[in-house]
Amino acid sequence: MADSGYQTEENRQAKRQKTEGGAMDPKTNPYLAHMYEEQGVEVNSYRGNGGYGGMKQSNSVLANFQRHKTTSEQAKKAEDGPQNPITDRQLSQQYFNILQTRRGLPVHAQRDEFLALYQKSQILVFVGETGSGKTTQIPQFVLFDDLPEFQNKMVCCTQPRRVAAMSVAQRVAQEMDVTLGEEVGYSIRFEDKTSPKTILKYMTDGMLLREAMHDNDLKRYSTIILDEAHERTLATDILMGLLKEVVKRRPDLKIVVMSATLDATKFQKYFYEAPLLAVPGRTHPVEIFYTPEPENDYLEAAIRTVVQIHATEPEGDILLFLTGEEEIEDACRKITLETDELVRAADAGPLKVYPLYGSLPPYQQQKIFEPAPAPRTKDGRPGRKVIVSTNIAETSLTIDGIVYVVDPGFSKQKVYNPRIRVESLLVSPISKASAQQRAGRAGRTRPGKCFRLYTEPAFKKELIEQTYPEILRSNLSATVLDLKKLGVDDLVHFDLMDPPAPETLMRALEELNYLACLDDDGELTQLGRLAAEFPLDPALAVMLISSPEFYCSNEMLSLTALLSVPQIFVRPANARKRADEMKDLFAHPSGDHLTMLNVYHAFRGPQAQDNPKQWCHDHFLSYRALQQADNIRLQLKRIMEREEIELMSTPFEDKKYYENIQRALVAGFFMQVAKRDGTGKTYITVKDDQSVLLHPSTVLGQDSDWVVYNEYVLTSKNYIRTVTAIKPEWLLDIAPVYYDLSTFKKGDIKNSLQRIRDKLKRRDAMRSGR
Amino acid sequence: MAEEEDDYMTMLVEDPTVKPKETSIQRRARKQKESEQKGRTKSKKELEAEAEAARDAALNTALDPSNKGFQMMAKLGFKPGTALGKASDARTEPIQVALKEDRGGIGHLNARKRKFRTEAGEENLAKLAKMDPEAYRERIRLEREQKRFEGQLHAAQKVAEQFAESEEEAERATGATNAESKPLTSINVLWRGLVRDRLEKEREKQLRLEMQARTLDDPEHDSDEEDLGPGKGPSEEAITFQELDEEDPELNDFEAMTVDEQLEKVVEHLRKERQYCFYCKYQYPDPEMDGCPGLTEEDHD
Repeated sequence: MADSGYQTEENRQAKRQKTEGGAMDPKTNPYLAHMYEEQGVEVNSYRGNGGYGGMKQSNSVLANFQRHKTTSEQAKKAEDGPQNPITDRQLSQQYFNILQTRRGLPVHAQRDEFLALYQKSQILVFVGETGSGKTTQIPQFVLFDDLPEFQNKMVCCTQPRRVAAMSVAQRVAQEMDVTLGEEVGYSIRFEDKTSPKTILKYMTDGMLLREAMHDNDLKRYSTIILDEAHERTLATDILMGLLKEVVKRRPDLKIVVMSATLDATKFQKYFYEAPLLAVPGRTHPVEIFYTPEPENDYLEAAIRTVVQIHATEPEGDILLFLTGEEEIEDACRKITLETDELVRAADAGPLKVYPLYGSLPPYQQQKIFEPAPAPRTKDGRPGRKVIVSTNIAETSLTIDGIVYVVDPGFSKQKVYNPRIRVESLLVSPISKASAQQRAGRAGRTRPGKCFRLYTEPAFKKELIEQTYPEILRSNLSATVLDLKKLGVDDLVHFDLMDPPAPETLMRALEELNYLACLDDDGELTQLGRLAAEFPLDPALAVMLISSPEFYCSNEMLSLTALLSVPQIFVRPANARKRADEMKDLFAHPSGDHLTMLNVYHAFRGPQAQDNPKQWCHDHFLSYRALQQADNIRLQLKRIMEREEIELMSTPFEDKKYYENIQRALVAGFFMQVAKRDGTGKTYITVKDDQSVLLHPSTVLGQDSDWVVYNEYVLTSKNYIRTVTAIKPEWLLDIAPVYYDLSTFKKGDIKNSLQRIRDKLKRRDAMRSGR
Repeated sequence: MAEEEDDYMTMLVEDPTVKPKETSIQRRARKQKESEQKGRTKSKKELEAEAEAARDAALNTALDPSNKGFQMMAKLGFKPGTALGKASDARTEPIQVALKEDRGGIGHLNARKRKFRTEAGEENLAKLAKMDPEAYRERIRLEREQKRFEGQLHAAQKVAEQFAESEEEAERATGATNAESKPLTSINVLWRGLVRDRLEKEREKQLRLEMQARTLDDPEHDSDEEDLGPGKGPSEEAITFQELDEEDPELNDFEAMTVDEQLEKVVEHLRKERQYCFYCKYQYPDPEMDGCPGLTEEDHD
């Protein structure tokens, strides 16, 4: 087996853990770091330990600023240098170059207005369309007025996406002429690039939420800026609910809620009628065209429209929105084929087509920023580029040069239904707000055109106003656990902007109760408290925490990491057979979880580590995903060590090696079990009684009567994906509360379990009789 | 791709697993039950439909108070039917799950959207109807009937028009109205469609003739007035033709009804106004229409 080498390494790690893991000093807990920093801090000193302490304030221009009484005039002077007002160092030429561009941004015109409202009110709603410069500039405006360094506090600005948090922090560090990670830093899951000097921190909304778990009042911040609030991510929605309470307890804390869309009155109303400031973006008018008739096939219509634009419209790049990877690659091929013909036959300009979707490797994502191809001859017709994208190009990415937008009106959206406990990505019609956002992408550089592949009445009648916020479309068990840890006791009356359906909360509470994270009164248990320490789904966290009982915590740690990353198997359309053959090399007859473990062990083996990239490529595995899994594993391992959860493995020679892993799996996923229906191909999910098929990607043979699954997905058929065979005895043994047969509906599943229970009873009776 | 699809859709029916220990009575009951089920193997479609029905049922069933989460929420003062939080417009029901299975654009009529909730049942019926020979016959029968109704409607409208025309002539003879043509909208809506269709056909014919005349006679002529024909001003017909392009909401409403409803209206009109039974093909002398078997076609069988 390829993983024997890895095995010994794991054992060594386990030993090290035992000797070191003993006494955990709370001071080494990064989440609590600020609490200890605060001890012994002198009044007005700058971040007690480290940094440049008291010396700085005497020299700094900012030291003479009166907090919350500054003007844009003062700030401007400070920014003009020649000394960096933050670091006192000489400002670079690059700084002044950027400063000029910054002063031209739309938000700068309203700096005084912003400051006036910011100073006057505890909460402020700020609306700035894309291109207004709000994400980079507003935090700096705040910094010069809030002066957190003299309060021993920080300003933070949340972002829904990791990439945005990183790239914006990088940009702002440049703008302020400081080193990234010092005065300006960022913090995202599994990566913290800040220092004691940090006064402005960009972070994902999820990270701020995790911080709040250990510091319910978010005491380390003087101002919290929630950016891109219009995206209404789950974490932002929860944060808003929390901050509404925190501002009452902390009158010195200021909140700025930033949104890119004009429905910000909803935010205003939610935040106690906070004042609102709107800054127009730098956009050009976009002419909108509708189709006269509904389209039979939106993909075909989209391709036709792109080709037509290329043939008839003047210079300018095209952005086409589609729903997913497969569709996008398909469209790219077809557009290339059709325009090649056009170039040959009708002397159209050259055309380059780029796909863009989340799972695309970053270097390929970068390609979209390449300029459009040059004309073939000196006087030839201009070239053009087409970007075929999922809705990541709708808000999160800005591509200059787009003049034409083609919008079929669909996107893949997450849905969750608590009644059958299914969480899936489904192709759904977008909202009116989304359609407007898409159209706006055509007007970034000059007046543009948006071609909507639906009729105007359909736009008015069939599209909902706003996209449903994530909180209405998600399984909330992890969120509920977080809220409990955040000290929210009354979940029923917690003031969310859009409270989810009651049944969603019901399911979450039920799941947490079965996982023993909450007791029957809804109070956090010891296990629940521990599970909340892990940035994982509760089922995964519980699986990990209980894995030492099954002597396989090392393996479960790897498996948890593997289940937290996107698909590790690559299956390109042109090499499916090869890819499947390669996958078979790793296949474990008992199922996909074990197969994934085999992959990981092989990946960590010396043969693969010689040249891991090549090795992954040869074996049709995603290097990026495996690397990411490695990183997550390391982070999770740290948490396990901190929480003193023993890391161990069953000897690989032991015949129970795999069985232990399967049992540990059941300890977390006993609520995701299906039984084969008779002898056919269909399975029936336990308790929900839904008829499902094994996903075609599974390695599991057809002879497993009981399986545990990682996901229940809805496509044209109902599938369970990532499945592993288990024994029904384990269910009764490991999760007796959930498998209390008196709660089961009559039927095959109940009968089978009953028979097994009787058999076990007889066996026990025989044993005790002996 | 296609290979796979075939593969996991194939239903392999293997031997039923032998169940452990049971009494002879149980065994006989089971055997009988099994053979009954075997006698009627469910088709793949049926199985799929069953799975879908099970899902729809589950999606339509709210979690009940036996749910542990419910009990925990009840302790916090949650009442069934109410929403969470403090917002006034919070939802009480989960968002519906809708599966899109084709590439029909937004607003596409035939978009075979698999809506899980209410429509699902109807769609299953429609699917079954497609395969069922009985349903096929039924559909063909309905189509024929529809055609027959259309023919009858046409005939009935003609009769009604004739009555109206003869009445007008009688009036004209007495000098009550002049012989000038009257606008289309003054014609009773019951047979206005008939007149309209006829006019449309005439106009088409005339346009064709004009076109031919123009190309043959004098290609350089381009005056509108003269195109209408030598020595003829804007004719009375032309005015009526113009009317054809106008919207006629009254007629639209009438034609929005099903053909048999339209027919019923015309037949009713003939009976009331003309004491004429369309099905007896006879004008009765008295308003009671003594001797007519009834209002509907069936009555006349």
